[in-house]
Amino acid sequence: MKIVMCVKETPSTTAEKRFGADMRLERRKEDAIINPFDEYSIEEGLRQQEKHGGETIVLSMGPATATDTIRKALAMGADRGVLVSDPALAGSDAVATARVLAAALQKIGFDLVLFGSAAADAYGGIVPSAVAEFLGLPLLSFATKLDEDGTTAKIERQAEVGYNTVETQTPALVSVMKSINEPRYPSMKGIMQSKKKTIDTMSLADLGIESGTVGAGASGEKALSAEKITTQRKGEIYMGNDGAAERVVAFLVEQKVL
Amino acid sequence: MANDVWALAEISGGKLASISLQLASKAAELAGTLGGSSAAVALGTNTQAAAADLGACGVQTVYASEGSVYDEYLTQPHVEALAALIQQHQPRLVLFGCTNFGRDVSARLAARLGLGIEYNVGDVAADNGEITMIVPAFGGSQAVTMAFQGEGTRLLGARPNAFATNRVGGTATVESVPAPAAPSNGAKVAGPFGTEGAAEAGHLGKAPDGHDIWMPAASGAKLEEAQIIVSGGRGLGGPQGFAQIEELATALGAGLGASRAAVDAGWVPYAHQVGQTGKTVKPTVYIACGISGAVQHKAGMGTSGLIIAINKDKDAPIFSFWDLGIVGDLNVVVPQLTAAVKQRKGS
Ligand SMILES: Cc1cc2nc3c(=O)[nH]c(=O)nc-3n(C[C@H](O)[C@H](O)[C@H](O)COP(=O)(O)OP(=O)(O)OC[C@H]3O[C@@H](n4cnc5c(N)ncnc54)[C@H](O)[C@@H]3O)c2cc1C
Ligand SMILES: Nc1ncnc2c1ncn2[C@@H]1O[C@H](COP(=O)(O)O)[C@@H](O)[C@H]1O
Repeated sequence: MKIVMCVKETPSTTAEKRFGADMRLERRKEDAIINPFDEYSIEEGLRQQEKHGGETIVLSMGPATATDTIRKALAMGADRGVLVSDPALAGSDAVATARVLAAALQKIGFDLVLFGSAAADAYGGIVPSAVAEFLGLPLLSFATKLDEDGTTAKIERQAEVGYNTVETQTPALVSVMKSINEPRYPSMKGIMQSKKKTIDTMSLADLGIESGTVGAGASGEKALSAEKITTQRKGEIYMGNDGAAERVVAFLVEQKVL
Repeated sequence: MANDVWALAEISGGKLASISLQLASKAAELAGTLGGSSAAVALGTNTQAAAADLGACGVQTVYASEGSVYDEYLTQPHVEALAALIQQHQPRLVLFGCTNFGRDVSARLAARLGLGIEYNVGDVAADNGEITMIVPAFGGSQAVTMAFQGEGTRLLGARPNAFATNRVGGTATVESVPAPAAPSNGAKVAGPFGTEGAAEAGHLGKAPDGHDIWMPAASGAKLEEAQIIVSGGRGLGGPQGFAQIEELATALGAGLGASRAAVDAGWVPYAHQVGQTGKTVKPTVYIACGISGAVQHKAGMGTSGLIIAINKDKDAPIFSFWDLGIVGDLNVVVPQLTAAVKQRKGS
């Protein structure tokens, strides 16, 4: 079975975020991590491989330096990586990103494609569904459990209220929720081995995509300005159990609600 | 280009989700300002009843497509129907909710028809014919003003509760649209809501771990009006843990809230859920105990006056929008706090 995990590089959730002069999120190399939601799809891909055998491939679209992020996924255990990188891709919106990922997936081939439920930079959560549309395939979205037997993929899906079961024929695209599994940490051995694994790079030309259909110019929307939201919170931290209850009571009294 | 504004209603199992009314109210308002007409699109079962509710929120037309195919398959039938309607009528703007349903449908539409899409919108305005949107970014610390570029229909995904429901009264003209055939290769809903015990009123089915999930209780604590809310999450570890929170709430005379994790686990009825798919609350003080502060939870309580968080993990997301944070074990702190409050109140 050929399993592809789509992984995005995002700034760490604790990093200070700023807009650049172009009104795009400034991405600093030292803050780059695997989108935390994608650790669950990497883990799920590895578990499916343990069950069914085959190959696991990490696919990412991003700057040339995103190979470092792919390498982290390879350290968790994935077999190889593919990075789609091209200067013309800068500033691509979700639809353009999906266009590129769909073309790369067609080139790589797949039985199962896994996505995170959203990327922690903009909390879009729309790339997986757009990829499915470009590929003309159904998407099993927001899975909290995945069973796949080679012909059918079946998920438990987190709905707005409650859950339901959804199934489709394979090849299948699935986006997963955090509760689906507990991602592993890369082992020392995994980290060593990841250094020898291959990461192929593809350009837009390799995928046969016109540069006019992606990048900032093709984006359907643009940011005009940004403003700090001024609901200033006090942000006081009280460490430890001792005296914590008294501090809360004193706080409630200070605020005149007790 | 027409200045029509549409809202995509959400119907599941014949029930209209409340966000649909928020979107319809906004569509009616925006169409009025832009000088276009307003419509809602209702796809599913029981669409006649939905159309009446949507019309009461001011939309002039409801495109209603009745069919069980919408409940039987995820997303694809909705996209077929909507794509055809959009191509035929070319509205300027279509509002959808930033919910799982709304994201899936709008992303496909954007990809299929090449439409611009903006999501997580907190507010939208039309001035002199221009549409601008406010999108919170960076964990809600920045408000970004966005505009669309280019021509054609645009899709706008609104955060739940971003817009108010405005029942201005009114009756929409209903235009019936045929439902598409089942997709040949689709995501089929094999077990819909309420597979077990569906006969029982309000029972929505089972969570993956076997617990029952319930619809909102009709009575419902007046969470929206409480001055203080004590809210509990997965960190409480079980129903006994949750009982500690109830005791604290009682001592403070506070409302009782919960995260979805606590509700899904069956420790507390859905009526107490705060967040994107629960209630939106704005008390003077919100006390979150064992709640990590996921975006969906924040959506329902992020504008509370003061936020107190009790959590043993100082890296939990809640410690990015808080006033007083206790980094400690709630099993120790909460009972002590309850005792201290009782003592102070002399009870
Ligand atoms: C479509 C959709 C809609 C959703 N709608 C909602 C919604 O309306 N409302 C909502 O709340 N969620 C909603 N969610 C779920 C949301 O994403 C989170 O999963 C949920 O809020 C997590 O609940 P929690 O904080 O209780 O649990 P967790 O995220 O598991 O957090 C538990 C916290 O408890 C702390 N803890 C554990 N033990 C202790 C201890 N002994 N002492 C102190 N602290 C402790 C932990 O450090 C942790 O931070 C929705 C999700 C989706 C996909
Ligand atoms: N640039 C990218 N490269 C690879 N995968 C991506 C990229 N952007 C988004 N994804 C995938 O789509 C999911 C949802 O992302 P988003 O729609 O951007 O929130 C992520 O969890 C990834 O699996």
